[in-house]
Amino acid sequence: MVIKKITGPLLGLLLSTLGGAPPTPKPAYDFFICANINRNYTIGAEILTMNGVFQRDAAGAWQHLGYNDMGVTAVAFDPRDRRVWYTSALNGLWRTLDGGKSWRMCNGWEMTEARDVAVDPNAPDYVYLALPDGVAVSADRAQTLERRENGLPDRGKYTQAIKVDRTRAGRVFAGCETGIYLTEDAAAHWRQVLPTKEMVTDIQQSPHDPQVWLAVTQNAGAWRSTDGGVTWINFPNVPKARALYNVTFDVTQPLRYAIGSWIYGVLTTEDGGVTWQDRNAGLPAPHRVWRVGIDPAGWLYASVYGETLYVSKDFGRTWRADALAGTGVNNFMILPRSTN
Amino acid sequence: MKPIFPLVLLLTLTALSAQARSALSGPAPSTAPVLNEQQRQADYARRIDEVIDFAAGGAKFKTNDPAKLDLVTIGAKLVRGQDYDYCSRRVIELMSKPGTGPFWMFPTVSTAFLGRGRLSPAALASIREAWRTARQLRGDTENHWMMYYASLYLMSELYPNDPAESWYTGKSSAENLAEARAYLIHWTDLSTSMGQGEFNPTEYIGEYAIPLLFLASWAKDPAIKERGRLMLDWLFAELATNTLNGVLRGPNSRTTEGPVVERWNAMASSFSWMLFGNTPPTAGYGGWGLYFAVVAKNYNVPEVIYQIATNRSADYIQHDRARTRRRWRYSDELSPLVYKTNYLRTDYAVGSTRGGMIDPIQSHVWDVTWAEADPRKKHNTMFSMHPHSSMVAMQSAFTCYPEPMIKAVTMEGKPTYDSPDKILGSSPYEQVFQDLDTVVALYDIPVGERFPHINGFFSKDLVKVTESPSGWIFAQGGHAYLAYRPLAGYTWIKYGHFSGGWAKVGLDLGGRILTSPHLKNGTIVQAASVSEFPSFAAFQAAIIALPLQFSLEPVPTVNFTTLRGKKVTCAYGQTPTVDGRPLDYSQWKLFEGPYLNSEVGSRRLTITHGQLERVLDLNALTATDRVRTP
Repeated sequence: MVIKKITGPLLGLLLSTLGGAPPTPKPAYDFFICANINRNYTIGAEILTMNGVFQRDAAGAWQHLGYNDMGVTAVAFDPRDRRVWYTSALNGLWRTLDGGKSWRMCNGWEMTEARDVAVDPNAPDYVYLALPDGVAVSADRAQTLERRENGLPDRGKYTQAIKVDRTRAGRVFAGCETGIYLTEDAAAHWRQVLPTKEMVTDIQQSPHDPQVWLAVTQNAGAWRSTDGGVTWINFPNVPKARALYNVTFDVTQPLRYAIGSWIYGVLTTEDGGVTWQDRNAGLPAPHRVWRVGIDPAGWLYASVYGETLYVSKDFGRTWRADALAGTGVNNFMILPRSTN
Repeated sequence: MKPIFPLVLLLTLTALSAQARSALSGPAPSTAPVLNEQQRQADYARRIDEVIDFAAGGAKFKTNDPAKLDLVTIGAKLVRGQDYDYCSRRVIELMSKPGTGPFWMFPTVSTAFLGRGRLSPAALASIREAWRTARQLRGDTENHWMMYYASLYLMSELYPNDPAESWYTGKSSAENLAEARAYLIHWTDLSTSMGQGEFNPTEYIGEYAIPLLFLASWAKDPAIKERGRLMLDWLFAELATNTLNGVLRGPNSRTTEGPVVERWNAMASSFSWMLFGNTPPTAGYGGWGLYFAVVAKNYNVPEVIYQIATNRSADYIQHDRARTRRRWRYSDELSPLVYKTNYLRTDYAVGSTRGGMIDPIQSHVWDVTWAEADPRKKHNTMFSMHPHSSMVAMQSAFTCYPEPMIKAVTMEGKPTYDSPDKILGSSPYEQVFQDLDTVVALYDIPVGERFPHINGFFSKDLVKVTESPSGWIFAQGGHAYLAYRPLAGYTWIKYGHFSGGWAKVGLDLGGRILTSPHLKNGTIVQAASVSEFPSFAAFQAAIIALPLQFSLEPVPTVNFTTLRGKKVTCAYGQTPTVDGRPLDYSQWKLFEGPYLNSEVGSRRLTITHGQLERVLDLNALTATDRVRTP
């Protein structure tokens, strides 16, 4: 596997994080969601609402991309060519090579209900797929997929999150039922780096410092690693009795994180996790927060199940309803803007 | 111009006559077997024609307005040679707004195949185009996948050389065909070697029978065609063996409130009616079952299966294996085994699994059901259960987060899932033992469980219900005497019946629930035929005289000598014993009984009745009939 150079906005981010770089222009980002706007759908019926991947445009409107599917759980793009992208969905893995005009279902019957998808930015032919019964990998842009689960347990490998380390090809984290697993050889071997008794629900890498990772779990609270995911430290001030659904960084502020939770709603920190605030005032009660996301301007979003998307310009202190009534956002994604 | 009045009168009279003959509203059919083979075949064809006429006449929507034709009405009209132009136009209209998922796919397959040479080229092209543009969701259950892949297989075979860009999958016809074929072979191999996942389904029988019939009818590949035909026999042999007078008995992997209490009121009964003629069809001939009917003449019920369903000379016990629904999480096994017992007599049936979690929402674990001359509207069942509702169960079976799923399922077709008074579902805290017509169900419910009690169902159709000072509750259902022994204190509440998946409230149709708020708990049920005793009092006396010892601490334990003289010992968490011998489930075959026999892993089922034998061999893809030497 060739480890490619990190260039463009990512390089700028890295250098600015290290503090020794010349001033660089503020990186531009694109902001995506995978949204389910299901209204009264039962399997077999006509889908009456537009669902799937949406991108926030310059005017702040959500533009639908690709196909209409209510089961899209995540999206990943090929950094070499933004027209090549992948979605994990109920049927498994879908790929487009032409910017969403045409699609291929990449898996057969052996894989289903994919939970997450990731492309290795340093080896973009590699696509990683999180499945309810493990992990699948493609080395050829998802033309073919194979199971790579050596080191994952026989049972307990339900994989909710899969994230690739942007600094090194083939270094991937899987958030599973029994903990966080790490591979450093493109899933040829996995090892457990954080054991849990129940699901790891999300893993994220800091856009500011690639050594910093966050993870949230179903009943073990929130965790941070500052050594590239090798060791993990629990945030003592984040509740852990009930499930945390996702966690996100803020590209504008290195010490700002947000957590979404059905029970706890929106939790935020602005000091790198030393203190956490409940930011639910102004959101519908009970909380039912399905996901949180932070856009390139630092606006905080909360997807409230069965309601709509809410947005806050002051990091959760006040909220207003955004567009997409009835939405459940399965994934927020922020990507350095591509000219490809 | 000739007056049209006589013609209208004639048509009206014909319609009325047809209505009068309708099995939907007529008396319950005879349960006696038709011994004349030609007559049996003619009766089968007549029943199919009745359904096709019902569908073709627009009865499903009580209108013959072409604008309201659905695909099954169109299919029936195509079979009848009616209204091709209307049908073509309506197909084009329907295909302009395609649905997504298996329940849209198999109806369009039906139309595509039945429409060959009948629908206009534009109509057929509109179906093909919808299969390019409309993304199809595969679903997440075994029946979804069966319908999905049977449909994809047949459409890919129908259009064999089309390129990837012409299918919603982005795969060529050959790729689609290979994927679908692989799954269909996998499913048949798994089901015939390890047992069915959605076993003994009350409603989902159609979701298997219809795609299998389509494969048997239209697949070009002889290997797939034969698998379809063999699996239909397999499915219907199981149906025949587990029915009493056409009504499915015993446990179900997945069912709904309706058939749990009114055992007849299930799509399985409409299949029994069509195939065996021994029970009335349900409303609308079973709904989805119409899709089976329009092609049903491509299937002939083997004589041996018909005889099993209708012609029994002795009581029998059938032991089977099956599989639970796939468990993604919180389980050491992907699909743990299920061990089923069904004991069928003339007057009643007793059936069970060993308890534990099966399907997270819709399982029915055990019951005693009795025969009724006309089973319609009769709640002919008695059982108890623990109303388990849990996020862990949801997360085990579904790719969901813990909190929202319970609420979601109650709003999406399973309204009672989170009700303390429900009578549908399985529980990890229930263990069941059955020997002939005795059932011992034990419960050890942990502190903190959402619903810390058990529910026992007492039907409106029970008579002579007597709460004896002995602790037994006696009753009579049909020609069966029933004895129910709660092992802990209880109170009575009204039973509220949820009529269908979208019901908001429980209807008062009569009946009660025995609710017992004790974590360590149990139920013993003993059944017998009325004819075995000179009186109800004699039955009661016989039951009270049976040796019974039980305790609830530290775990529920029962030592009981059954009415049939077996000394059974059951303790929660331990292997039951019968006459001192522990039960060894590992020795159970895939099927074992007088009618169905199969070794685990064999992919081979021997179906017997009297001297008749039919062997379904999924290895050689053959069905072999012979008359055995007495």
